[in-house]
Amino acid sequence: MKLKKATAVLLTVAVTVGLAACGSSSDGNKDSAKKDDNKLTIWAWDEAFNILAANEAKKIYAEKNPDVDVEVVTMAQDDIVAKLNTSLSSGAYDGLPDIVLIEDYRIQGYLNAYQEDFADLSEIASPEDFAEYKTGVNQIDGKMYGIPFDSGVAAMFYRTDMIEEAGYTQDDMENLTWDKYIEIGKAVKEKTGKDMLTLDPSELGQIRMMLQSAGAWYTDEDGKVNLADNQALKDAVTTYKKLVDAGITKTVSDWDQFVGAFNNGDVASVPAGSWLSPSIMKAEDQSGKWAVTAFPRMAENADSVNASSIGGAGWYVLKKVGHEDEAKEFLKETFASNTDLMNTLAEEINLISTLKSAAECDYYSKGMDFYGGQEVFKDFAEWTAEVPAVNYGENTYIIEDLMTEVMQQITSGADIDKVLSDYQKQAEAAISK
Amino acid sequence: MSKKVLSVLKYVFLAVISFVSVFPLIWMVIAATNRSVDITKGTMIPGSYLMENLNTLLSSDLHYMMAFKNSLIIAVITTALAMLVSSAAGYAFVVYKSKNRERVFNLILLSMMVPFAALMVPLFRLFTKFNNMGPLKLIALNTPMAVIIIAVATAFLIFFFRQNAQTFPKELLEAARIDGLGEFQIFVRIFMPTMKSCYAAAIVVTFMSSWNNYLWPLIALQSPEKRTLPLVISAMGTSYTPDYGMMMIAVFIATIPTAIIFFIMQKQFVAGMTGSVKG
Amino acid sequence: MKNKKSNSGMSPRLNRRAWMFVIPSLILIIAFVFYPMIQAFITSFQSGAGNRLEWAGIANYKRLLTDSTFKKAMGNTILYLIVQVPVMILLALVISSLLNDKKLRCKGFFRTAIFLPCVTSLVAYSIIFKSLFATDGFINTILMKVNLISEPIAWITDPVWAKILIIIAITWRWTGYNMVFYLSGLQGIDDSIYEAAEIDGAGAIQKFFGITIPMLKPIILFTTISSTIGTLQLFDEPMNITQGGPANATITISQYIYNILFKYSPDFGYAASVSYVIVVLIVLLSIIQLKVGDKNE
Repeated sequence: MKLKKATAVLLTVAVTVGLAACGSSSDGNKDSAKKDDNKLTIWAWDEAFNILAANEAKKIYAEKNPDVDVEVVTMAQDDIVAKLNTSLSSGAYDGLPDIVLIEDYRIQGYLNAYQEDFADLSEIASPEDFAEYKTGVNQIDGKMYGIPFDSGVAAMFYRTDMIEEAGYTQDDMENLTWDKYIEIGKAVKEKTGKDMLTLDPSELGQIRMMLQSAGAWYTDEDGKVNLADNQALKDAVTTYKKLVDAGITKTVSDWDQFVGAFNNGDVASVPAGSWLSPSIMKAEDQSGKWAVTAFPRMAENADSVNASSIGGAGWYVLKKVGHEDEAKEFLKETFASNTDLMNTLAEEINLISTLKSAAECDYYSKGMDFYGGQEVFKDFAEWTAEVPAVNYGENTYIIEDLMTEVMQQITSGADIDKVLSDYQKQAEAAISK
Repeated sequence: MSKKVLSVLKYVFLAVISFVSVFPLIWMVIAATNRSVDITKGTMIPGSYLMENLNTLLSSDLHYMMAFKNSLIIAVITTALAMLVSSAAGYAFVVYKSKNRERVFNLILLSMMVPFAALMVPLFRLFTKFNNMGPLKLIALNTPMAVIIIAVATAFLIFFFRQNAQTFPKELLEAARIDGLGEFQIFVRIFMPTMKSCYAAAIVVTFMSSWNNYLWPLIALQSPEKRTLPLVISAMGTSYTPDYGMMMIAVFIATIPTAIIFFIMQKQFVAGMTGSVKG
Repeated sequence: MKNKKSNSGMSPRLNRRAWMFVIPSLILIIAFVFYPMIQAFITSFQSGAGNRLEWAGIANYKRLLTDSTFKKAMGNTILYLIVQVPVMILLALVISSLLNDKKLRCKGFFRTAIFLPCVTSLVAYSIIFKSLFATDGFINTILMKVNLISEPIAWITDPVWAKILIIIAITWRWTGYNMVFYLSGLQGIDDSIYEAAEIDGAGAIQKFFGITIPMLKPIILFTTISSTIGTLQLFDEPMNITQGGPANATITISQYIYNILFKYSPDFGYAASVSYVIVVLIVLLSIIQLKVGDKNE
């Protein structure tokens, strides 16, 4: 009998918890609970980059709006993703930021899943003010949901000393094609013993950059998987294989080995986003030995140009957190328009803004000693304008994980067409809902 | 083979294993004294940037010391409560064996088996309700208690104590009852001291798992000033230009408390100590 | 009254007391594990991105059957389990019985040193593992110097070696952890048993298999089950050392769940159904282990 009593107590507790949990669920969904505490929270993930940018914006905004308290919080990008997903899917807005930085590759996924949680920013900014390729991803139904932040414009950083030792000049690096690049790479390997570039088999940024240089992606305009009949992808994959077969690549397996390779002087060039510049400049002993040229194009692909992009992000407003108007106002006065801010950020964090008007910043025409006096900002800004626009859709990462398998099979000799059509089916199966 | 050779071999084996075990930690300490750029180059020589790295860490916006304090509070309370609550259950499953309790135990064991990632979203939804529920506010989101409460009773610990309680001599129990001790007194005054080494092991692993807990605090703690160490360390990691020097001093400091707890507790692992109690 | 038989030998009062010991734990586990578990189970029959979930019947479970990444993750996870757990358990047992020797010097140092891997920060240890096992790293250099291999091993980028690297890494990290449980368990064994065996002329190996292992059986069962669960839920090492690569060759189920939840566009329903496949797997394995382990009781 006593046991029954205990069981009864237990059941009561369990049921109470359960009921309570169901009972109050409506409270969680307060729509746009407007708060007047004059507090804005911003989330971003890089102390040395976008956090610093947010803090600069905060300073500028505080001059005109001293009564608004802006809090900038650093969080790992993966952590931001985990928190946003958990909270938004539960309809709980406590503790979420008003403004959050989201990577371009991911934003479509969010906008599709939680469109009603994001504020429409069309009234504070218009797509024409920004580099064309940046606004392909942050619009849905013609409404603009994000303020583009950094340009992930792709560039080819290279060691002038090694190129010259191999018998080439900086002119040879202009208007570069991948075939020419490989030719130079072989000469570099022969003369200096150094590899031309690093490749990370688990990170296909290289393929992504090549694809975007031809205005293509793993998916088509409608977001459908497009691996089998994708000429740009075939060309990119072929080029990748040529790089591997030429024996001019050094395999790395993660970010710090990647950074270590060029800081150590183990490779002659680094194809990467403009945001890599601060990492390259960390090796002060290599000052004056670097230059930057536009991203190589795939000669066999008529659509491919000498411009591409990798990474890059934008600012978004979560409207149900409680400060929608203030958050919009903040972005309007800072990242959506302020050229002075862009100038400061160029100087402090080497930001290549995607705001078109930023190209006239003073700092952009400053020669940089590290790059032998080259006006790298001007070049970055120029290439930014030429990057083909691509809508990344919401399945970039899921397809890319499968693509690592594709690349492994292809680099070990499998037939490209066959592998791509096999994986077309697998990718379709993986994202069918 | 003579005994001497065997004994030398034993020391060599232990020394090799110890070296392999400690090596990454030594590397971490060396890295903490170097600049980021030298660390990525793979240096193994101690540098002179320890203080500079430490300064960068302490002056950054990440509030490292506050996170350290938060982690310490959570880990200490979790460990203390878990020792009481989970060991009581594990003890009862052996000392008061019954069919029904055996069934309950098997059920509890089942709770160990679901990957936490799968429980996280439902658990979060449950906790969002607690804000408006009177006394349950105590364990609402964004409080240290929200992190503590889910780690107090774990199948892992209950199972551990149950397995260890099987070696607890029943005669001690009978003797204590004859002396007129209550059931709870027996647990606290007889079982706990007898099983010292078992508690020592449990304290070490509970403290450690609380100290390193990542996914749930990430979701449950909302304001930056409530964050724990693993969250702050994670925030340092995704920079495009990570400062490895600062990170290494940060992770090194984060390693110290668990190491100290282990060092103190391992004194309980002295061969045959419980033997005297038994005799 | 049907409980009467099972409570034989225990007064109702004592039985009630006994429940008092258990109930706090039980309430907490029901609220914070079983309740979410049931919710997750319900979600596993729904499908959709983010919070746009719709009932989908067993569609998620059907999808598992055609999901090649899931099959890879499953295969890898089981491989880790079969190879790694026995090696680690045996190693931990050997080390802890060596360390339990009263006459051994520097015990405190050895114990602490061997325990340290599991407190070493994941961030630090994954960086150093990657650099030690890089193609031109320390390990390959040593192996080539002593002529064990003629060409460097691609530890991180070769599908087979990457799996071996993960197994080495988990063993490195968790052997000392399991040692702690054995060391504490060994304190329950009376010295006189060993002394008696020694008088009978038993050697170290006979003592190990004849006394240590049988006496530690409950603890060995505990560590086997908890290591099995830990390995089936393995996440940290593949996530941080190989990122599941090369080409998903080291991905585990837990990492795949995390990817479905957070890396790809979130699909809570599918993630839940993948989790329940592990639950079923773990339950089956644990029942087998408990049956085998408790047989002689």
